[in-house]
Amino acid sequence: MYGDTLLNWGAIAWYLSPELIVLATALLLLGLDLVEHQRVQHWLPYVSLAGLTLALVATVTLGQQTERVLAVFQLDLFAVCIKAITWVTMALLVLVSEDYLRAHTDQPALFYALLLLAALSISLLGAATELITIFLLFDLLSILSYLLTGYLRHDQYGTEAAFKYFIYGATLSAVMLYGFSWLYGLTGSTDLLWIAASLRMIEQFISPLALVPILILILAGLAYKVAAAPFHHWAPDAYEGAPTPVTAFLSVAPKIAGFALLLRVVLVLFPSALTLGSDLRWPLLTFLSAFAMVVGNLAALGQENIKRLMAYSSIAQAGYILIGVAVATSRGVTAVLFYLVAYALTNLGAFAAIIAFANQTGSELIASYAGGHKRAALLAAVLTICLLSLAGIPGTAGFMGKLWLFSAAIESGLVWLAVLGVINSVISVGYYWKVIQALYLAPMIREDKLETPPLLKIALGLTLGAVLLVGLFPSLVLPWLESAAQLFFAG
Amino acid sequence: MNFPILSVTLFTPLVGALLVLIIPREDEKTIRRIGTAFAFITLVQGALIWWLVAQQGAETMQLTERYAWIPSFHIWYEVAADGLSAPMIFLTGLLTTLSLFYSSYVIKLRVKEYFFLFLLLELGMMGVFMALDLVLFYLFWEIGLVPMFLLIGVWGGKRREYAAIKFFLYTLAGSVFMLLAILSVYFQTGTFNILEAAKAQPFAHNFTWASMAFWAFFIAFAIKVPSFPFHTWLPDAHTEAPTAGSVILAGILLKLGAYGLIRIALPLFPQQFHYYVVDVPIIPVLAVISIVYGALVCMAQWDLKRLIAYSSVAHMGYVTLGIASAAAGYPNLQPENALSAAASGLNGAAMQMFAHGLITGALFFLVGIIYERAHTREIKAFGGLASQVPYYYGITMVTGFASLGLPGLAGFWSELFVFRGTVYFIPVAAFIGVLGMVFTAGYILWKIVQYVFLGTLDKERWGQLPDMTWWEKVTLWPLVLGMVFLGFYPTPLLQMFNAAMTTLLRALP
Repeated sequence: MYGDTLLNWGAIAWYLSPELIVLATALLLLGLDLVEHQRVQHWLPYVSLAGLTLALVATVTLGQQTERVLAVFQLDLFAVCIKAITWVTMALLVLVSEDYLRAHTDQPALFYALLLLAALSISLLGAATELITIFLLFDLLSILSYLLTGYLRHDQYGTEAAFKYFIYGATLSAVMLYGFSWLYGLTGSTDLLWIAASLRMIEQFISPLALVPILILILAGLAYKVAAAPFHHWAPDAYEGAPTPVTAFLSVAPKIAGFALLLRVVLVLFPSALTLGSDLRWPLLTFLSAFAMVVGNLAALGQENIKRLMAYSSIAQAGYILIGVAVATSRGVTAVLFYLVAYALTNLGAFAAIIAFANQTGSELIASYAGGHKRAALLAAVLTICLLSLAGIPGTAGFMGKLWLFSAAIESGLVWLAVLGVINSVISVGYYWKVIQALYLAPMIREDKLETPPLLKIALGLTLGAVLLVGLFPSLVLPWLESAAQLFFAG
Repeated sequence: MNFPILSVTLFTPLVGALLVLIIPREDEKTIRRIGTAFAFITLVQGALIWWLVAQQGAETMQLTERYAWIPSFHIWYEVAADGLSAPMIFLTGLLTTLSLFYSSYVIKLRVKEYFFLFLLLELGMMGVFMALDLVLFYLFWEIGLVPMFLLIGVWGGKRREYAAIKFFLYTLAGSVFMLLAILSVYFQTGTFNILEAAKAQPFAHNFTWASMAFWAFFIAFAIKVPSFPFHTWLPDAHTEAPTAGSVILAGILLKLGAYGLIRIALPLFPQQFHYYVVDVPIIPVLAVISIVYGALVCMAQWDLKRLIAYSSVAHMGYVTLGIASAAAGYPNLQPENALSAAASGLNGAAMQMFAHGLITGALFFLVGIIYERAHTREIKAFGGLASQVPYYYGITMVTGFASLGLPGLAGFWSELFVFRGTVYFIPVAAFIGVLGMVFTAGYILWKIVQYVFLGTLDKERWGQLPDMTWWEKVTLWPLVLGMVFLGFYPTPLLQMFNAAMTTLLRALP
C-alpha cells in the first residue's frame, strides 16, 4: 500500500485537482476583494459557484479508482463521495448567503473565500489517513468556523458566540490531539493503516483498557465537531449568535467533516475483526448516540428561537447518524453517508427559508412566522417539508435516511437503539410542528408579502426538489454510497 | 403488459392535486371543479377496478404491477388488488368524491390548499389498499398524516390545533414501531412482500420476538381502528375536523387500521394472534370493551358530532371482534364448517368496514348539514325538527336505522356475520358484544330520533330552519342508496370479500 506514493507532481495535481480548483477560486476571490467596483462585488457569488461546480465536475471525473497521494491521502470512492457532498453543500451555502451578506457587510469576498477554504479542508479530511494531517485539517476547519461565526465584527452576539466556540473547540481539539499522541506512543506511527496493523499485532499483549482512553479522547474531539451530546454545549450559543448563513454552515459542514473522520477512525482503527476494539466501541458509541438523541430532542422542545431550535435539532440529528457509526456494518456506513446527504440537503433547505424570513422580518422568533403561508407560500412550503424530513416523515429524504439507520441497527441486533431512535423521532415532531403550526395554523400578525431574492429562490427550489427526489427515489444516490461503504469491509 | 390501471388510479389524485397547485389562488371556481372532477375520475377507475377484479377472480391478487424501486434493499413498488381491497378502493373514491363535491359548496376559506391536501390524502389512502410491499404500505400509511393534520388544524372547529396535533402524534407514535417491526420482518424473511413474508412466517421459532413484532403491528393498527384504550384521539379529531374531514377520517382512515389487521397482522402472525385471542384473551376483551363502552359513552353524550364519533369506536369494535374470531379459529380450520365460520367472522369485519364507511360518512355529512344551519350541535337544543325539515329527517332515519343494524339495511349483514364467527369460536365475547347492539339502538332512537326530531318544535328558534339543499341531497343519496341496496342484496360485495377471505384463511400455515 506504500508502493505507489512516488507519483510525479502532474499526477498529484490531477488527483488533487478539485481542491486546487477550489483553492484557486478562494485566492481569486481574495484578489477580487481589492477591486472596489460594484460590478465585481456583484459577481462574487457566481465566481464561487463556478469554482465549486468545476470542482464537482473534476471530482466526478476522478471516478472510482483508489489512489494514495502524498502518503497521507487515500483517494477512494469514500473520499469522492465526501467531496461531492461538500461541494454541493457549499454551493447551496453560497446561494443562501448572498442576500444576507449584501445587507450586512461590505466585505463579502472574504466570506466566500472562507467558505471555500472550509470546503477544501472538509474535502481533504475525507481522504486523510495520517494523524498529523488529520489534525491540521481538523483545526483549519475549526479556525475557519470561528472566523465565520464572528464574521460581523461589530455584532456583539456574533463575537461572543465565536469566542465561546473558540474556547470550547480549542480545548477539545487539544484533547483529541492528546488521544492521537497515545496512538503514536503505542504504535510508533501516525499512519492510520499502519496503526491499525500494529494494533492487530499487539492485540494479545496489551489490555483492552489501554485503548479505552484513546477512544474516549478521540471521540470527545469528534463529538464536539459533530455537536453530539455531551460535547454539544457550544452549539446553541454559537448557532444563535452567528450570522444566519453561518448558522446554516455550522449545522452541516462540521458534521460532514466529523462523520467522515469518525468513519475512517472507527472503521480503520477499530474494525470489527479487531475483537479488542469492537468490544469497546459499541458501548461508547451507542451511549454517545443515545445521549445526543435524547438531550437534543428534549432540549429542543422548549425553544422559542428558531436558530436555537435548529441547534438542538442538529444535536439530535447527530445522535441519529451515530447509530450508523455505532453499528459499523456495511449497511451502517451506507446509512451514515445517505443520512449525511439527506441531512445536508434538508437542513440547508430549512435554513434557506429561515434566512429569507429573517432577512425580511428581522426576527428569529418562531412566533414571528405566524401566517407565513400567506406572506410567502414557497418559503412556508419548503420549510415545512424540510422540517418533516428532519422528523422523518415518509416521502422525504429524512425518512429514507432513518429507514437505513434503523434497519442497520436492527440488522446488527441493536434493537433498543432503533427503538430509542423512533421514540425520539416522535418527540421531535413535538417541536418541529411548532414552526409548521405558526406557518399554517396561527392567525396572521402582519399581512405584507415577503419578497424572496432570486438566489435564495433557486436554493429553495433545488433543496425542495432534492429532498423529495432523494426521499422518493433513493436509488439515485445509493449505489455510490453503497460501494463507498463496501470499501471498509473489502479486506 | 396490461394497462396499469392501479397505478393510474393511484396517481390520478396526485395529478389533480398538482393541477390545483398551479391554478391561481383567486380562481376558486376552477379549483373546485378540477378537484372534484379528478376525485370523480378516480371513483370511476375504482369502479372499473372492482369490476376487473371480480372478472379475473377476487380470490387472488389481480392487476399486479411490480417495478424495482430500491433494488439494493429489495424494496419494490408493487401494487395489486383482490376481493378485499377492490371494494375499499371503490369506497375511498366514493367518499372522496362526495366529500369534495360537498366541500365545493361549503368551504370558503383557503380553497386551493383544501383541495390540494384532500387529493393528496386520497393518494395515501388508495396506496394503503393497493400496496403489497411493506415499505410501500408504510409510505402510504404515513403520507396521509400531514394532509389530515392540516385539514383538521386549518378548517376545524374551536379546539382544532389541539385535536390536530393529538391525531398526528398518536398515529405517528403508533406507526413508528410498526416500521421497526417491518424491518425485523425483512431481516427474518428476506422480503418486504406481504404475501411472501406471510408464507415465510417471520420468527416462527421465537415466540417472544414474534409477539413483540405482532404487538408492534397490532398497536399501530389498533390506534388507527381505533380500539379501546387507544381511541382517545378519535373523539377530538372527529369532532374538530371539518365535515368532509370527519367523513374521510371515519369512513376511510379507520378502515386502514382494520385492513392492516386483516392483510398483515393475521397472515404474518396467526399463532400470536390466536394466542392473544384465546390463551391470553386481550384482543377480544379490547374489542368488547370498545363496543360496549363506546355505545355507553354515546348514551351519555350530548354533542351530536361527538356522539357520532364515539359510535365509530363501538362499530369498529365489531370489526376487531370479527377478525379476532377468525384468529380464534386458527389453526383448526380443516373442517369445512370451521373454515366457513372463520370466513364469516372476516367477512363480517370486511362488510362492516364497507357498511360503516357508508353509514358513518352519511352521519357526519348530516351532522355537518345541521351544524351549518343551526351553529350548534347540542342535542338538547333541538326538538321536533321532523316537521320542520322532513327531508333531512327521512335521510337521517334511514342512516340511523342502518347504523343500529336494522335488517334490510347495510349494517345488518356485517353484524350478523361478525356474530356468526364470534359465537362459533368465542361465544362469551359474542354474548357481551351483542349488548352493544342494544345500546346502539338506544342512543340512535333515544338521543337522535327522539331528542332531535320528535317532541315540540321551538318555533321561535328553528321556525326558519331550511331543509336540505340540492347539493346536500346529491351528496347523501349515493350513500343512502348504497345502504339500501346492500341491505337487500349484499351478494356482490359479499362474494368479493368471501373469495379473498377464504383464500387468506386457507393460506395460513
